[in-house]
Amino acid sequence: MSFRNYKDKIEEGDTAILYLSNNLYAIDVRPEMKNKKGEIVENVYQTPFGALKVRTLIGANYGSRVELSKGWGHVIQPTPELWSLTLPHRTQIIYTPDISMILLQLDLVPGSIVIEAGTGSGSLTHALIRRVRPHGHVYTFDFHEHRSKVAQEEFQEHGIADFVTAKHRDVLADGFGEELNGKADAVFLDLPSPWIGVPHVLNAIKNQGGRFCSFSPCIEQVQRTCLALQDHGFQEISTMEVLQTEIKITRRTIPVRDLSFLKQKSSVSPVEEKPSSDTNYVVGTWPQSTPGHTGYLTVATLPPPYARSKPKKTTKVENDEKSTENGDKMAVDE
Amino acid sequence: MANEIKIGDYIVIQKHNYKKLHKFNKSDSTINLGKDTINLEGLAGCPYFSVFKLIPKSNKKKREFTVELAEEAVKLTDEIDIKVSGNDNRNILDDGRSQKLSAADIETLKTDSNKASDIVETLISNSNTFHNKTEFSQDKYLRKKEKKYFEYFQVLKPNLRIISEIMYKLEPNKIQNLRIDTLSQIITMVNIHCEGNHLLYDSGSNGLVAAALLSAIGENTTGKLVHMHPGNMSQKQALLAMNFPEEQLARCVSVNVYSALRQFYQGCDTNNSAPQEEKTEGTEETSMKRKHEETSEECPSKKSKQDNENEPSENDNTNVPDPPRENKKPKWHFDNIAASEILQNKMDSLVIACKEDPQNIFNELVSFVKPGRPFVIYYNVAEPLQQLYMQLKMQSNVAALKLTCNWMRNYQVLPDRTHPEVTMNASSGFLLSGYVLK
Ligand SMILES: C[S@@+](CC[C@H](N)C(=O)[O-])C[C@H]1O[C@@H](n2cnc3c(N)ncnc32)[C@H](O)[C@@H]1O
Repeated sequence: MSFRNYKDKIEEGDTAILYLSNNLYAIDVRPEMKNKKGEIVENVYQTPFGALKVRTLIGANYGSRVELSKGWGHVIQPTPELWSLTLPHRTQIIYTPDISMILLQLDLVPGSIVIEAGTGSGSLTHALIRRVRPHGHVYTFDFHEHRSKVAQEEFQEHGIADFVTAKHRDVLADGFGEELNGKADAVFLDLPSPWIGVPHVLNAIKNQGGRFCSFSPCIEQVQRTCLALQDHGFQEISTMEVLQTEIKITRRTIPVRDLSFLKQKSSVSPVEEKPSSDTNYVVGTWPQSTPGHTGYLTVATLPPPYARSKPKKTTKVENDEKSTENGDKMAVDE
Repeated sequence: MANEIKIGDYIVIQKHNYKKLHKFNKSDSTINLGKDTINLEGLAGCPYFSVFKLIPKSNKKKREFTVELAEEAVKLTDEIDIKVSGNDNRNILDDGRSQKLSAADIETLKTDSNKASDIVETLISNSNTFHNKTEFSQDKYLRKKEKKYFEYFQVLKPNLRIISEIMYKLEPNKIQNLRIDTLSQIITMVNIHCEGNHLLYDSGSNGLVAAALLSAIGENTTGKLVHMHPGNMSQKQALLAMNFPEEQLARCVSVNVYSALRQFYQGCDTNNSAPQEEKTEGTEETSMKRKHEETSEECPSKKSKQDNENEPSENDNTNVPDPPRENKKPKWHFDNIAASEILQNKMDSLVIACKEDPQNIFNELVSFVKPGRPFVIYYNVAEPLQQLYMQLKMQSNVAALKLTCNWMRNYQVLPDRTHPEVTMNASSGFLLSGYVLK
């Protein structure tokens, strides 16, 4: 229940994040658990620094130190960001750098109504809920029944089920449902063929207009989505990529090589040809390997009907070789 | 309806791909777009997203315009029908003589024509090479001309996305190069949402960070923001441009960092003697004066509401309005007390976006943050954050300490012509983030 309100102390049923020498673990705070044979046993969480009796966390303050047999760690109340880093993966997920941009690009604020498909592992959903609550709502869809169900249970356990409706549905085939017609401020799609969903987005977005965003790993998906958006009267269509790099900070001692003494004849001979002293820097090192691509974010505004541009000519420009086709191609103007 | 353009609103004028923020303070207020001066009479009452056509006033040379509500913006590519194109550019020689019209001809054309498409069509028909160009280059040409001759603009409602984009494009150094992706991460990294007390120290983002945090705190919620700044007046441009309702804006308590901390640690002086200070002439005396007054003021037993005052200024050099002599205390007096009360209850997050060395500021302000809660510090170069990183690592009173940097690239997506934009905004500063431990 620890995703809903700020808390000072850990209670039974919370998810607590254990921070242990640069690693994060999500712990389900239950004093007991079922073992493989189905027997109720003491819940003991194994860490690289020794075992942790989960029972001992209950009543502890968030932010406080936890003693382990071979060291210690700290417990932190989960946030959607910490959850994205520790959640059980049922699908590929979206991480904080993209999530942050998605929230801002969709113009989401408390009170917004947002539609998401697919739910996947719920990484983005947690962040959407946090942004739109208490007056807003997230409608999230997945055509994978089990994923949809597990996500719903997770929202329940995390105490945020009031702000989200998770449904099992193929949104490309069946849209978002009539009850959502004209209800959404924003729609987000993370599924393989977002362009097929664009006509449904048109139905779901409020009459006063709204925002759209899709996340696609491949540029071909982006091209098709952009064409569909243009054909349906969206404006401010734009595609971007966001990457975050973590810089490693270290103090480095480096040798200093003095060459200036060579200008004068030295009294001391022979002179040793090696670095004469050391100096210190705090340096930031860019990682050898860092995320190079996650996905393209394509965003657009659906203006209200009165401001939508009526399609004039099809946007297709084909790169044809034969000049004989030019005549046809140019005749598409109405 | 909230969807109508109202006098008093901040509005965004979008002409082609250029956006400008404007305070629509009277029905016939004027705005300058490039060399054009546009009178906005007629906007009030129209719904947002409306498109307006620029109507030249009698003398076209002066580039003064009035506006007229339009059905939609007509695109050149839709109006101009191109009959023939070439296959490649093997026969195109750019010797500067392909245009038959002289510069003077073109000038007269511009003043005489009423429609952009007429101008461009005349240009095209007098060009020797246009029809040999490939369809792609013709398209590119029209897009370029469209940008130049576009006769329409649309009115948009400001929001964080648009304001951040405008401010970054216009004067990135006024907001410490804080780009939209980095701004978006500041909000999520410290878990800003509808609840909690959030602490911000900001000395140079023109109110952008405060606007970001307050927008995520939301309307009709319980969250509060204490917005500390070093000057006499907080920088508020972005905050005001958001058109927040009063209720929401009131939950952002902007205070001078010295006064607020003095109030917190020393309480207010109960010495009842009236402020003694004579009117100092010096311009930079204000903060001294302030200090003096503050310590000689009595503590109000009840916080009285007295909120109307003139703060539309966007820079912090404006003088503090002279406090009325008698019982009426200035707004900042009550703001300091309010901020200090919120600080007593401890904060749920800490955001610093500063020009000064962040180290001292962080060390002081972190004591207000509850254990287990996140912080983030923005700085436009890495070195000060690297120093602070080393210090915090040694103290080990924070967890998950991370220094990050972002990269963002926009794409041109056109059929068969998709590629990254040819220029990218490469500077967006650094974030040092983590969680406060007990
Ligand atoms: C990559 S995952 C989404 C991950 C999610 N954004 C997250 O951050 O955890 C894509 C999901 O879309 C679902 N999906 C694909 N096509 C769909 C469709 N037509 N309707 C509904 N869900 C669909 C898949 O079952 C999968 O769970």
